[in-house]
Amino acid sequence: MKRTNRIFTVLIFIFLYIPMAVLVVASFNTGKNITVFEGFTLRQYAELFRDEDLLALLGNSLLIAVLSTLICVGLGTVAAVGIHNLKPRMRKAVMSLTNIPMTNPDIVTGISLSLLFVFVGSKMMGNDNSLNFGTLLIAHVTFGLPYVILNVMPKLHQMDSSLTDAAMDLGCTPMQSFFKVTLPEIMPGIVTGGIMAFTMSLDDFVISYFVIGFDFVTLPVEIYTYTRKAIPPKIYAMFTLLFLLIFGLMVAMNLMQLRSDRQKRSKRAVSDSKSKRIFKRVCAGLAALALVIGLGSFIGMTRQDKTVLNVYNWGMNIADGSDDTMDIIAEFERQNPDIDVRYSTYDSNEALYSKLKNGGVTVDVIIPSDYMIARMIDEGMLLELNFDNIPNYQYVDEIFKDPNTRTYDPENKYAVPYTWGTVGIIYNTKYVDEADLAQGWGILWDEKYADKILMIDNARDAFGIAQYLLGYSVNTTDHDELLACVEKLKEQKSVVQQYVMDQIYTTMENGEAWLAPYYAGDAMLMMDSNPDLAFYLPQDQGFNLFTDAMCIPSCAQEKEAAERFINFMTDPEISGANMDYICYASPISEAKNYMEEYLAESEVVYPPTEVQAKGTAFNFLPEEVSREMDQLFMEVRSTDTAEGGGTEDVIFLIVLGALAVAGVAFSVSSFVKKVKRKTKK
Amino acid sequence: MKKNNAILLSTPYILWMLAFTLIPLGVVAYYAVTDPVTGAFTLDNLAQLRLYMPVLGRSVGYSIVSAIICLLLGYPVAYYIAHRGKVAQKMLYMLVMLPMCMSFLLRTLAWKGLLDDTGIINNFLGLLGLPTLRMVRTPGAVIMGMVYNYLPYMILPLYSTIVKIDRRLIEAAEDLGCTPVQVFQKVTLPLSMPGIFTGITMVFVPAVSTFYISQKLGSADTSLIGDVIERFFKGNNMNLGAALSLVLMVLVFVCTGIMNRFGDDEEGGVVV
Repeated sequence: MKRTNRIFTVLIFIFLYIPMAVLVVASFNTGKNITVFEGFTLRQYAELFRDEDLLALLGNSLLIAVLSTLICVGLGTVAAVGIHNLKPRMRKAVMSLTNIPMTNPDIVTGISLSLLFVFVGSKMMGNDNSLNFGTLLIAHVTFGLPYVILNVMPKLHQMDSSLTDAAMDLGCTPMQSFFKVTLPEIMPGIVTGGIMAFTMSLDDFVISYFVIGFDFVTLPVEIYTYTRKAIPPKIYAMFTLLFLLIFGLMVAMNLMQLRSDRQKRSKRAVSDSKSKRIFKRVCAGLAALALVIGLGSFIGMTRQDKTVLNVYNWGMNIADGSDDTMDIIAEFERQNPDIDVRYSTYDSNEALYSKLKNGGVTVDVIIPSDYMIARMIDEGMLLELNFDNIPNYQYVDEIFKDPNTRTYDPENKYAVPYTWGTVGIIYNTKYVDEADLAQGWGILWDEKYADKILMIDNARDAFGIAQYLLGYSVNTTDHDELLACVEKLKEQKSVVQQYVMDQIYTTMENGEAWLAPYYAGDAMLMMDSNPDLAFYLPQDQGFNLFTDAMCIPSCAQEKEAAERFINFMTDPEISGANMDYICYASPISEAKNYMEEYLAESEVVYPPTEVQAKGTAFNFLPEEVSREMDQLFMEVRSTDTAEGGGTEDVIFLIVLGALAVAGVAFSVSSFVKKVKRKTKK
Repeated sequence: MKKNNAILLSTPYILWMLAFTLIPLGVVAYYAVTDPVTGAFTLDNLAQLRLYMPVLGRSVGYSIVSAIICLLLGYPVAYYIAHRGKVAQKMLYMLVMLPMCMSFLLRTLAWKGLLDDTGIINNFLGLLGLPTLRMVRTPGAVIMGMVYNYLPYMILPLYSTIVKIDRRLIEAAEDLGCTPVQVFQKVTLPLSMPGIFTGITMVFVPAVSTFYISQKLGSADTSLIGDVIERFFKGNNMNLGAALSLVLMVLVFVCTGIMNRFGDDEEGGVVV
């Protein structure tokens, strides 16, 4: 019995630690895929320490954790003493208030705080940038406070209340009696509560994710962004180091506690006060250190005299210096030393739109696609550009300024083109029979490739694919046609592995999925890392030809700096260097001179004119139609289609039913027993 | 004077909690009954909830199953830890807690790496010449992800309860002629009930509202309510997202209420 229990426990620990082992091993891998170990290297660790952005994020997380813990401990301890002395009924009410953030799911807490901040900050006080450092700190204090209260309260209960009375009788002021008697007694509770608040804050993802703006990002939230695209292996190195650090801290803490326990037992009277004093000193030292770090970095943060320019771009859509490309942002900052660029990414036009529409954040430069620019102009979300500040606009090809092709902004007022390209099908030649491509977009519905098909996760592109397939116009406003598309998209659900945007990279590159509709430039990038991949444009049915262009949204705070950035990006040499990395076509012909030859000549990047002629642009749709499309797509994504009678589901339901019945029966019987016992008494 | 002091000391805290826990819930309710475009009062969002009931049902189902599995896996472990020596107890407790402090996003991603069709386990099977298994993107994978992530939340409260059980009670039962099975049934198990209920609540609540695990380990058809809320909230219908989170909140409060009723009233609280 005991033996089996031991083996079982060991197995559970293996289960708990296996994924961590995978991550630790991945940190020494020369390849970037965690599923295949290609060779041993320490390179990732070197890269980690060279990556200032990542270290800054870690610093941000520490800063918010230290500050929120300090506030929690201060406010919480005082409050606990107060609550302890309240009348019982009042105390109960306050304690149930304390329990709200503990019982509420994190996602609800996050959403409620985010709505509060946007509602009060932006709608009532008119501050566009209401999701900032301060509000994040408030959120962390709010979920940390209950931990302090719940740990200090029991210590107060245990304390003999006559002790403070005695102290006061002996002439202590209430203040003195608190510091001399109460505080030492409840110290262990404060420390445990503080440590809990600290770890919760440091590792919090869900609440922060909803409350965070662009100003101040913490590490777990950024890791989420990473896990949605190709994750850089240095993250694994950081994970390993953090793991070792926390492991070491925990072991040290345990050993210290054990030793003091032992000492206490051996020579109680003498060493008791001594070890307590040491403990107190260590605590005070740590608190002081935390305070200094907190205040120091806080002051450092607020005393920045550079202009902060918030650039919000598609994921994987700017050269970042990896693979011998130019680090565009670093180059811009070098040329404009007074500007500090803060760069963040979105993964679809719709995500960008919602982020701005939902409010609470400010950004200065965005790069939406044509149809979204038209929608934003229509809804007054963009500022007119001052072209005097963008002299490089002269290099942009005439065709991109021609009102006939530039239907999204015919007057040339709001946007400077960044890239253009097509949407086609990426497929893995190893598994996909090229003859099947004759079905055009229909191959994405082919049962033969069920579970190996990825579908694009944004409304307009997804509807576009259905519309090309059904032979409708992609700019239709006809309600019945939209509904027919919804049916088509729902039908596809049973063969789709996942709906993806940036996650497409890993999944296609490692062969987990074989077919996906996506953008040409990203396809080039993927083909680069997996030579089995190829790109196909269904010319007969039609495909989307898009332009992405740089704009300044109406919430921007640094318009002039934003225009300098746009001008910089429109320099042919910079544009060419940028395309080398992102593999899209530049709207500036001259940029080709600065691009690598294979890209400038690639038919995927620059399709021949006769192919281009078969593509169509997504045009402006009236607001109601855009909204309806968004809603319908959400419905496709979120609701269950044709609840299938899959055997998996049936088995699952049977198991579930049995377990539920067993659980209820068990609970009822134990409840009945308890009642019986009570009545017997 | 003492009473005044008590109120004075606790007022800042009470105000803080009112402003940042109770009022935000009011704001959520406000968004739930307003139109996303016009901002006018509407019941449309609530009417649309019906569409998402199957998703909610699935979330509840998966979470109940994972809570039960967590209990079945966690109880023996907690029992084992509680019966070690002092030092071993401390170390094992720490080892259970450690994974909770590491990014759950990365750990879940590592599971995906293990379970994928082209993942570590299947690569390994391939090397041995065995047929590959279909593991990822099944309900089982999602439930496993939940069990993995929330198992410590079950073990820790169970351990805290079991370790407090008075050994003399067990000895007494043995002296009175109970078999080990009977001792477990009649003494240990009933006395660990509070831990069981706390554990179930602590697994159920985060599991029912999770939004990352199913995105990584599930398929297009295993969306959970958390995923849907996130999608609406980050997409452009915060109002429907708010309505759905209200439903989720009510559900969780009802469930924890029931659990608290079953569990013992004394110091239920948190036992992390």
